[in-house]
Amino acid sequence: MTPAPNLAARGVSKSFFGNVVLRDVSIALQPGRIHALLGENGAGKSTLINILSGALVPDAGVVEIDGRAFRGLNPREAHRAGIAVVQQELGLTTELSIAENIGLGALPRRYGLIDYRGLARRARAAMDLVGLDEDLATPVGDLPLGRRQMVEIARALFREPRVLILDEPTSSLSAHEVETLTGLLERLRANGTAILYISHRLNEVMRLCQHVTVLKDGVVTADRPIEGIEAADLVRLMVGRDTGHLFPQWTPTAEREPIVQVTGLSSGVLRDIDLSIHRGEVLGIGGLVGQGQEDLLLSLYGALPASARTAEFNGRQTLPSSVRKANALGLAYVPADRKREGLHLIHAIGWNLMLPSLARAFALSLRDRAKERTLATTLADRFAIKGDLTRQVQALSGGNQQKVALAKWTPAEPKVWLLNDPTRGVDVETKREIYALLRRLAGEGKAIVLSSSDTPELVHLCDRVAVMREGRIVATLEHEALSEEAIVAAAMGAEPLRTAA
Amino acid sequence: MSAVESATPRLYWPVQRQRNRGAGGLLIVVAAFLALYAYLFPGLLSVGGIAKFAQSWLPLALVSMAQAILMLAGGVSLAIGAMVSLGAVIAATTMAGPLGVLGGTALVLLAGLAVGAACGVIVVRLGLPAIVVTLAASFIVGGAALLILPRPGGAIPAWLSDLLAGNTPVAALLVIVAVVVWKLYLATPLGLSLYAAGENPDAAYRAGVPVDAARILAYAVSGLLATCAGLFVAAKTGSGDPVIGEAFTLNSIAAAVLGGVGFLGGKGAMRGALAGSLLLSVMINVMYFLGFPPVAHYIAQGLIIIGAVALPEFSARRSFR
Amino acid sequence: MSSGETIRFPKIRPAALLASRPFLTVLIVAAVWIAASFAKPGFGAFGHLRYLVELGAVVGLAAIGQTFVIVAGGIDLSVGAIITVSAVGAPLVTFAFDESGAFAALITLAAATAIGILNGLGVAFLRAHPMIMTLAMATFLQGLLILLAGGSAISAQSPLLAWLGSARPAGVPAGVLIWAAASVLSLVALHATPFGARVFALGANSLAATLSGVNVAATTVAVYAISGLTAGMTGLLLLGMNGQGYVGIGDPYLLSSIAAVVLGGTSILGGSGTYAGSIPGAVLLVTITALITVVNASPGWRSILFGSLILALLLISGRETRRR
Repeated sequence: MTPAPNLAARGVSKSFFGNVVLRDVSIALQPGRIHALLGENGAGKSTLINILSGALVPDAGVVEIDGRAFRGLNPREAHRAGIAVVQQELGLTTELSIAENIGLGALPRRYGLIDYRGLARRARAAMDLVGLDEDLATPVGDLPLGRRQMVEIARALFREPRVLILDEPTSSLSAHEVETLTGLLERLRANGTAILYISHRLNEVMRLCQHVTVLKDGVVTADRPIEGIEAADLVRLMVGRDTGHLFPQWTPTAEREPIVQVTGLSSGVLRDIDLSIHRGEVLGIGGLVGQGQEDLLLSLYGALPASARTAEFNGRQTLPSSVRKANALGLAYVPADRKREGLHLIHAIGWNLMLPSLARAFALSLRDRAKERTLATTLADRFAIKGDLTRQVQALSGGNQQKVALAKWTPAEPKVWLLNDPTRGVDVETKREIYALLRRLAGEGKAIVLSSSDTPELVHLCDRVAVMREGRIVATLEHEALSEEAIVAAAMGAEPLRTAA
Repeated sequence: MSAVESATPRLYWPVQRQRNRGAGGLLIVVAAFLALYAYLFPGLLSVGGIAKFAQSWLPLALVSMAQAILMLAGGVSLAIGAMVSLGAVIAATTMAGPLGVLGGTALVLLAGLAVGAACGVIVVRLGLPAIVVTLAASFIVGGAALLILPRPGGAIPAWLSDLLAGNTPVAALLVIVAVVVWKLYLATPLGLSLYAAGENPDAAYRAGVPVDAARILAYAVSGLLATCAGLFVAAKTGSGDPVIGEAFTLNSIAAAVLGGVGFLGGKGAMRGALAGSLLLSVMINVMYFLGFPPVAHYIAQGLIIIGAVALPEFSARRSFR
Repeated sequence: MSSGETIRFPKIRPAALLASRPFLTVLIVAAVWIAASFAKPGFGAFGHLRYLVELGAVVGLAAIGQTFVIVAGGIDLSVGAIITVSAVGAPLVTFAFDESGAFAALITLAAATAIGILNGLGVAFLRAHPMIMTLAMATFLQGLLILLAGGSAISAQSPLLAWLGSARPAGVPAGVLIWAAASVLSLVALHATPFGARVFALGANSLAATLSGVNVAATTVAVYAISGLTAGMTGLLLLGMNGQGYVGIGDPYLLSSIAAVVLGGTSILGGSGTYAGSIPGAVLLVTITALITVVNASPGWRSILFGSLILALLLISGRETRRR
């Protein structure tokens, strides 16, 4: 008789704002096994983790710990039962030290006060497990992103969990740190911990995991041992079709005259950037995360104070000093974080679609609601955003939200589109639509600047790619020279293989 | 035992050092002001001078700590002034009677904790906005103070007045006691959790941090500090006044702001609030001694607060986020 | 592409309107009025109710500015002080040539608006937190007030003020007429102009608003200017109704303006709400105050009752849904 799994969900369903996110999902985490959870963005993985860890209560179904059912599990109970989660979004307190962050929520006590000695000892032990050698007392705010990720993992380990759930743990880690993590997970597995591993990196999953559950649109499409399955099969289970034709056919465009030219652009982390953006092209901005790509886009958009030796935007000799000036010059910006920067979540879809137009209109004119509705409907139709447009934007899936973030700029007819990681957290179908849209816009003579951490995107979609490192553009690759290796090499600072003249 | 195994790493004091890195600049400013004050009024540099200064500083220090705790929890209290009045009238009406000084003090402490906790529960568990809840509370508490003591009166035993507000440096000692109490509070799990609860309540909740409990406790402690300030004010004047606390609300916010404790929750150290209250106290005293009319007080205070906010804005590089 | 049957903008069902917060507040007002007129004869008399609405106009005017500011994500704690400054300052700017008192009123309103603009500039450009900026302004004005009035009340007489205080065109008190006109303008501005949309955008997410091309600084200054202006109007109305202005005349209206806004369904976090709710909210507040005065209790009890009733009303109607 098999022992009860450490942690399981049985028949769990959950909806948000009428959107069904999980439908009758069951999953069982056995001890001594690394269990992969796969699914494309928006398939319901994060929701499932939140339910398993007690952060969310399901609408239907139960969570079972060691076979015992819990209907209203909360995080504290889950922690006490030995469940630990490493979230994708970091939840550290920047003011507090590494050790204190690691121990938060499970601080050792002595006479009612925190036992700092005990904390120091156990925190050091947890840090050693993940390879953190920083000083225990360092404020977390001083650490770079990758190290903070390791602190999060250390925090999960501090509680000596029986179940460890990791959501995209390697997204901000260096190759060395990934190795450390892999070794650690193997050791934990051998010790009998049940591990749930969520990742987009199929090669990691194939190497590390013994069992896999695939979610597609909130439903389990597979729940089986990894043995005997190929990566391509997994993809098909996630997406339901061949992803062969994700990217539209690349055709070079004839018009290549420059619409934006800057030299010596400096601001924030940017150092002396020379950049030229041409009509009708898709210019990619590549490089490792955090090398200044966002600052570049924001500086061009007037959202970050910047200086330049020379600057020409759409025929005018000027560097936009504010977002409104940039809009007037024909620029539009779609931020990476659509929830916090790109959209107004509590407001209606239609309202969001109209906002840039309302921002430009004369303040004290009367709004023509009928005209707004027609325009919003047209946009929604063109971008395949379905349904009632009076719903709050937060009721939409990630992909649809991204479409709203893009669509709202269309009435302004921007000549230059600045896009910051536009397909992050977006399902495959929407990605395809967005890629088609971008090439179409380029075909119409618009200029697209696409900053992306997704190298295939850059390779297949762009006419040129500028690779950034430490605030500078270290290489500009023309289409013929574009390949994943070339981009990554330039990003890492290895000898660039071929650069454009 | 392997010889390589190091002793348990020291954590508490290195953490304290790290956490107070930024306070240096503020302390220099405070020292400069104190030096100016001493230059203008050499009388400061005597036991009596320090005692008198500490006595005018202590209430302000306590209320700014009260406000700072709440700001760390992501809230604010507009009821601080009313709580001060409450503390004052409770002290003035009970200490001379059968309960005596000890009983009166206990009542003051209890009242502060209870009212603070009540506000905390309403804000945290019922989800009502702190601004309006504490504004309404200020009316309720103020009314209660008026009921207990409709007109200035009551009495504080003379020996207590002399001890706290006479020629003794007890007030200065009490400031130190307050700091120690704060340190103790931070060294409790609920106290430390406050930083997490204030900075990122959702993530803290998911990490199993007792967010609600930490915030409610913060409100309770805040109330406690405010009523204690009231007790001291009553001791200083020798009697109780039901509206004596009015000015303290604004002053507590001003001092907390001056010290850099942000409204965003989870930022800043208590040291900043204390330094801010010290600065404010010095400025008030300087203006008084220089013969500025009361008008100038208000105008100067308004300008000072704006200056305190504007200065970091101008000196830091203007950035988008 | 979307099918023809999908309804993009469903018609607003009348039932939905009835479930809205503003309407609920109206119901509460009606309920309280009915209960009170049974408990205390004379309460429900037309003259008395009209008087209540006239008092409500004072709170309502102040709540206009506060509504704009709160929807924009801020708060104005200087409303009380601006009201007092206007009530105390207007009598001081009477000139010989100004027979009707209109010029004095204009100067007062201009000054009040200027104070509001200063608030807005501080919030927008100094990045001062609204609570701090307006609190500092209130302190500053306190000092100014002492300079102006020194503590005594200042009487004022002018045809304009008299009209404000006692005229009843077509049986409607002048103050209520002004309130009605201002309300209509405010509702239009908030819900039917791009400016209003920008205010909502700013309050819901100022970062996204900036990136969408909204002039956040100008919108900020504008809402605080409006708050200053309406506070000035409130002060003038009070002056007309009381015949004199004195230090502290405006203080009760700070809490009242905020409470009226919150009771009316506007979220204190900003980004949602409507002035339509603040209107019954103002009347409700004034009703409560009147009831408490009628009870004739000591100052202590009155204060306790006032605070408790506001708290109770908030508990009934003011839960903040956690925004995600």
